[in-house]
Amino acid sequence: MKNKYINILFSIFLFTQFVISQTTRGIIKGAIYDEKTKEPLPGVNIYVKGTTKGAVTNSKGIFEIKKIVPGTYDVRISLLGYNNIIKKIDVQPGTEINLEIFLTPTTIQTEQVIVTASRREQSLREVPVSVSTVTSKMISDRVAVRLDDVVRYVPGVNMTMDQVNIRGSSGYSRGVGSRVLVLIDGLPYLTGDTGEITWETFPTHQIDKVEVVKGPGSSLYGSNALGGVINIITKQINASPEFQYKLFCGIYDQAKYSEWKWSNKTRFNSGLTLSYSGWIDSLGYLLSVSRSVDESYRANDVYHRWGLYSKLSYILSESNNLTLISNVQWRRHQNFFWWKSLNEATRPADKQLNWVVNSTRGNVSVSYNSIISNNFFYSLKGIYHGNFWKDDSSGLSNYVSASHFAQLESQFTYTFSQKNILTTGMLINYDRVFANIFGYRSSIGAAFYAQDEIVPARNFRINAGIRYDWQKIWKDNFHTPLSISPSEINPKLGIMYSITPSSTIRASYGKGFRYPSISELFTSVYESASSLPVVPNEELKPERSNSYEIGYLQLIGEHSSLDVSIFQNDFFDLIEAGVNKRNEIQFTNVTRARIKGFEVGIQYELIKRTLLTNLNYTYMDPVDLTQNVTLKFRPRHLFYGSMELNLSKVQIGLDYRYVSRVETIDEDFVKFAPIIDGDKRVPIKVIDLRTSYNLLSIGIPARLSFVIKNLTNYYYIEMLGNIAPFRTYYLSIEGGF
Amino acid sequence: MNYIPFINYYRICIFQIQLLQLETKIMKRISLIIICIVFIGCDRGLEPSKPKLGFAGTIYAMSSWPQQDSIIRLLLFASQIYPLDSTSVYNGLMKLPQRIFLYPSINESLPLGFDSISYSFPLEAGIYNYVGVVQQIDTDFVNKGIRVFRVVGFYKNPENDTLPGTVIVNEYEQIKGINIYIDFYNLVKQPF
Repeated sequence: MKNKYINILFSIFLFTQFVISQTTRGIIKGAIYDEKTKEPLPGVNIYVKGTTKGAVTNSKGIFEIKKIVPGTYDVRISLLGYNNIIKKIDVQPGTEINLEIFLTPTTIQTEQVIVTASRREQSLREVPVSVSTVTSKMISDRVAVRLDDVVRYVPGVNMTMDQVNIRGSSGYSRGVGSRVLVLIDGLPYLTGDTGEITWETFPTHQIDKVEVVKGPGSSLYGSNALGGVINIITKQINASPEFQYKLFCGIYDQAKYSEWKWSNKTRFNSGLTLSYSGWIDSLGYLLSVSRSVDESYRANDVYHRWGLYSKLSYILSESNNLTLISNVQWRRHQNFFWWKSLNEATRPADKQLNWVVNSTRGNVSVSYNSIISNNFFYSLKGIYHGNFWKDDSSGLSNYVSASHFAQLESQFTYTFSQKNILTTGMLINYDRVFANIFGYRSSIGAAFYAQDEIVPARNFRINAGIRYDWQKIWKDNFHTPLSISPSEINPKLGIMYSITPSSTIRASYGKGFRYPSISELFTSVYESASSLPVVPNEELKPERSNSYEIGYLQLIGEHSSLDVSIFQNDFFDLIEAGVNKRNEIQFTNVTRARIKGFEVGIQYELIKRTLLTNLNYTYMDPVDLTQNVTLKFRPRHLFYGSMELNLSKVQIGLDYRYVSRVETIDEDFVKFAPIIDGDKRVPIKVIDLRTSYNLLSIGIPARLSFVIKNLTNYYYIEMLGNIAPFRTYYLSIEGGF
Repeated sequence: MNYIPFINYYRICIFQIQLLQLETKIMKRISLIIICIVFIGCDRGLEPSKPKLGFAGTIYAMSSWPQQDSIIRLLLFASQIYPLDSTSVYNGLMKLPQRIFLYPSINESLPLGFDSISYSFPLEAGIYNYVGVVQQIDTDFVNKGIRVFRVVGFYKNPENDTLPGTVIVNEYEQIKGINIYIDFYNLVKQPF
């Protein structure tokens, strides 16, 4: 009986709160359109400054922000590829403000908001390092099945299969130990055992944008940010309930040469994603399921993937919110490590036949943001990343690994004035690996960082920061520690100077480092795809880098820009796998290296707001100073060009990618694997053609895309003995209602 | 005098407009040139290698076989280098471009215990000055180096059977009749 009264009283309380909130607070709602085409714009971010409140437009361009405390606010409306708008809005109690906004498309991306370079929101023109951005539209336009499908087109970046190379930082380290740190909403996303990036585990349709920061980021992000940082920023939940879908189907073309034809069947790469999102009072939710099958253009290379992604966002108050993201992917795939020979490039070496790997990978992250006052922002974040895989090969040893990585961090941003912003933070992390291939290992780490941004004059900005990292790795269950030095200190300094309103010069210095991964330290394999055993090396030291960059940005007129940068990266104690005197593969600190180069980027409108071009060239001189030879697996020239024609309903785009022939490779790897014809390689010259049509003009809330990847059917490799995909035709339809 | 700043400002504006127009023309031309280069520069890339024909023949065992545990592996070799020493053997096997080739591979073996066996050794076109069979007798590479191998027979020069014969491999046909006689007890002169 007592409980009944309590329930009634609680219900009355909730109802009263609801009524009060409806009558004493206001609502901002509206629709956002493209100024040129007058079409609704989905994915536009609307943010009420000084609060944690915001929204994103749905597929009809509509948004709604409820329960706003009366007052005058600056509301920022932003979408990459369009000019940002800031509107001053006066919210009255119980009123509803209805907005109709038209955004102007632009090629100039300098006004975009960047969050990765300084761990806080800032304009790209305030950032003292080179940053590139991949938008959700770019992902959608290119029908990117995996995130790395679009990262390949970022200036200064190239891929060696799954390993990302920012300005030549990574090369190829046999799939372990990334020299680029990947983050999801600012939290690390590398596997706990191999320290690698699992590109395909993150659903591309849930990405709002990807920021690529070039040069070391260890002074803010710690280990692995040796060559750069890639931050995946997830989409906000739509304001109104919405069901979304995306269906894609790709068909691989046949190889031109009869030697490479291995199947008479048409090979497909297809997938479906369904998601539903909405709000229940202050609780936003999104649930997404996906399924894809890649039959591949090569034999013994079929992939099956199932994915589940969810996001919950709870607005606790005007200035506090809580977000929970969970993402899991199950995958079953065959193994294709390298070809049988160039003559049989679509068939794997005999030993790899019948290998199947089952894996479950995923993460859960939680983020609490609080605006304590107008000048004090606080966030508490945590992530758990699990990686479980089983190598289910017939006739060979079964390798099994389970790794658990967790990190908890807090960050404080204090704005003393618009001329002085201090950001500090601390974190702890935990890594545990259970594997017959790596053993039972554990590690614990902690870090503290501080960064101050000072504006001594209106056109002059200084950014200085330092981070201390401590990491202890145990050979076992926290009993026997390794002798690796656990402490690392990494400073950075950046300067921005605006010569005129349209030209800016920037200069930066930063240090980077990477602790060796569990797999580099402890891998012990006596039977694998390679013919040589792999043995551990517990004496590995962290890799380090020093980076210097000077850049110049010039806006040319209203719609064009030129960006030039010169850089030098010095690397110390680079970890590489080599063959020791016992004919065993072992990771060792062998290389002192230097990569010098420059980068030029031009964004230009050939026909105003209709025909856009983007040209980027990177030159690198990668030298192994230990042996005075060219660094392995590094190209000297990168050129990416794109052209986009925007008509009222139709978009047509062309992308071109040139990566010069890698001059030196790992000869031991070719010899001992052995990879027959493993030294055969050519420059990469790939053209992709894409078109998309907005069906909303005929009343259907959908977007149809047709993409031809590798239009000229050019045959090349990114990794030794692995022929890259042939020409592929993709048709995709996506939308929501 | 008061008009001078205004005139200067006007001139600067005119100059900037001219500069922008010039840049626009230059940029359009640069873009078009680059696009043309991109298309002209495209070729087919990699293509299947021509099949390696190499040479073929028969290996005859002229002696009895030793204890099985004293043969780790039995391998065919084809060396473009002759004579050989420890360094040239190591470089020929380990460094690119490879000059010494093994069959079936460094981690596999020919069948053991035969009286005679036919073989086919796929190789790229080239001149191979020393072709034969090696027996791997030990796994201790660290201390013994290439001495874990010993030559048990080689393809002989038809005119002087104390010297190795040269095998010239071409791209059009497989060279046949490269017969090798092996003897585990009366070893030929070792090259290293």
